[in-house]
Amino acid sequence: MVVDHETPSLENGQTDKEVEENANVLQFMDSMDAYLTLIHSLSSTLRRGWLELASARHSMGASRVNTVLLDHTSHPAATSLLVTQDEGKVDSGKPHFTLCKWASSSNENSLLGEKHSSQDKLHPQLRHRGSTELYEEKTSSENKASREVDDPVQKERSKSLSMFGTLVSPKLRAAQLSFEAALETLVEIANMRSEMLCAFDQVNMKLEGRKDEK
Amino acid sequence: MYGFEAMTFNIHGGYLEAIVRGHRAGLFTAADYNNLCQCETLDDIKMHLSATEYGPYLQNEPSPLHTTTIVEKCTLKLVDEYKHMLCQATEPLSTFLEYITYGHMIDNVVLIVTGTLHERDVQELLEKCHPLGMFDSIATLAVAQNMRELYRLVLVDTPLAPYFSECITSEDLDDMNIEIMRNTLYKAYLEDFYKFCQKLGGATAEIMSDLLAFEADRRAVNITINSIGTELTRDDRRKLYSNFGLLYPYGHEELAVCEDIDQVRGAMEKYPPYQSIFSKLSYGESQMLDKAFYEEEVKRLCLAFEQQFHYGVFFAYMRLREQEIRNLMWISECVAQNQKSRVHDSVVFIF
Repeated sequence: MVVDHETPSLENGQTDKEVEENANVLQFMDSMDAYLTLIHSLSSTLRRGWLELASARHSMGASRVNTVLLDHTSHPAATSLLVTQDEGKVDSGKPHFTLCKWASSSNENSLLGEKHSSQDKLHPQLRHRGSTELYEEKTSSENKASREVDDPVQKERSKSLSMFGTLVSPKLRAAQLSFEAALETLVEIANMRSEMLCAFDQVNMKLEGRKDEK
Repeated sequence: MYGFEAMTFNIHGGYLEAIVRGHRAGLFTAADYNNLCQCETLDDIKMHLSATEYGPYLQNEPSPLHTTTIVEKCTLKLVDEYKHMLCQATEPLSTFLEYITYGHMIDNVVLIVTGTLHERDVQELLEKCHPLGMFDSIATLAVAQNMRELYRLVLVDTPLAPYFSECITSEDLDDMNIEIMRNTLYKAYLEDFYKFCQKLGGATAEIMSDLLAFEADRRAVNITINSIGTELTRDDRRKLYSNFGLLYPYGHEELAVCEDIDQVRGAMEKYPPYQSIFSKLSYGESQMLDKAFYEEEVKRLCLAFEQQFHYGVFFAYMRLREQEIRNLMWISECVAQNQKSRVHDSVVFIF
């Protein structure tokens, strides 16, 4: 029996190359599914935000929630978008978008808040099985840090709403939170689209490679 | 029953009371609102409104309509009715009718001052002012830098002048000062209106005292809820509450120290009329509070029409019409945003 060392076969008859191609296709489909889910989520968040804004207008009156109250004085942006390129990877050149919320006055705290939230998403909290005291100290310091992050963020939120007055309805605050969530979703969509396009390029490259081989 | 109003009221007020009762009959019923809630587009709403008293005001508006256009045109109808009544009224009814518009005047002053602070064009601001609150020299508000100038240059010749004594400072106008100015002016206006109605006496005093007390109490609750989590201190909050109403003074003391909606509920549930309002809400929830208050207000305003020979019917009619316009605004927004399932969140039926 002649053994072909160049293309070793696996148990289910697939080669490494085919496994890699399947993985690329799956990655593309996963990223497309995530992209469509995010688009749907954005749509519902925006619908909620617009209705909450209308509800705030109904509650506070048209003279208090009005486009003529928007601030035209020059002031720093409360939120900015950082665009970086992923380097040192096979798919280098893929842009990555990071939202810096409420960064106009407290850059460190806002970025700290972002880092905490992104870490929470990537590494879900595990149960601590060490000493109880150590665990309590750690969680209380984490709570203190999150409270310290929350207060400046809350102040920035109130500051941006102050164009409608300092005593605004909770409905207007809820609308603000909805639009804030929509902004975060938009950035996630941008990142997911970047991943999707990158995965599509990978699949395309493999297909073209196959055509060339034939 | 009170002071022989039945013998003398119709001499000067009979015609206008008949007029306002006729206008009241034109307010939308639940059936009208149900028809409006079935509309798919704003043009459908315009078509339904063309068969009502709002028809002439909307007929020349081109498509596509906006919700703000519907509200503006419906408000013009109210303004026309008010102006007709005002020009036919004699004292003291004419002063009473003018008092009804001072709230809008305060809102317009704050709108102009805030917009100017945000470097907006004065003409743009004037277009957004409520027509019932307009006065000569309102555009001059844009030049004032602090409250002292505001008073000296413009407001000294307006009906709002007496209300400024409590908030005149030389501090420059900023968002917090403007908010405190708004609420201080409104407090002074309500108290002055209350005293005026007391001076009129009879059924007017009886009915208007109840309506204005409810307004003062509702304001106190809204100020409390809106100031939770802000920089407004307890003392400053307490100073914004009116010095009359069911909650004055003990309810105000409790509201001044509230830190969340549940504490507000705890303070309000001690008063039977407000216990029924808060019983409609679940714990920690404040979204439906506005609707609950509007429903209670509408009930009290409708009761004002059960008695004759008093000025409360004019106040009640103006407020009911404003509620109707708010309902139309909400229905239009829900239709425009394709959220008809939420239309009953904020519509308050009058009849």
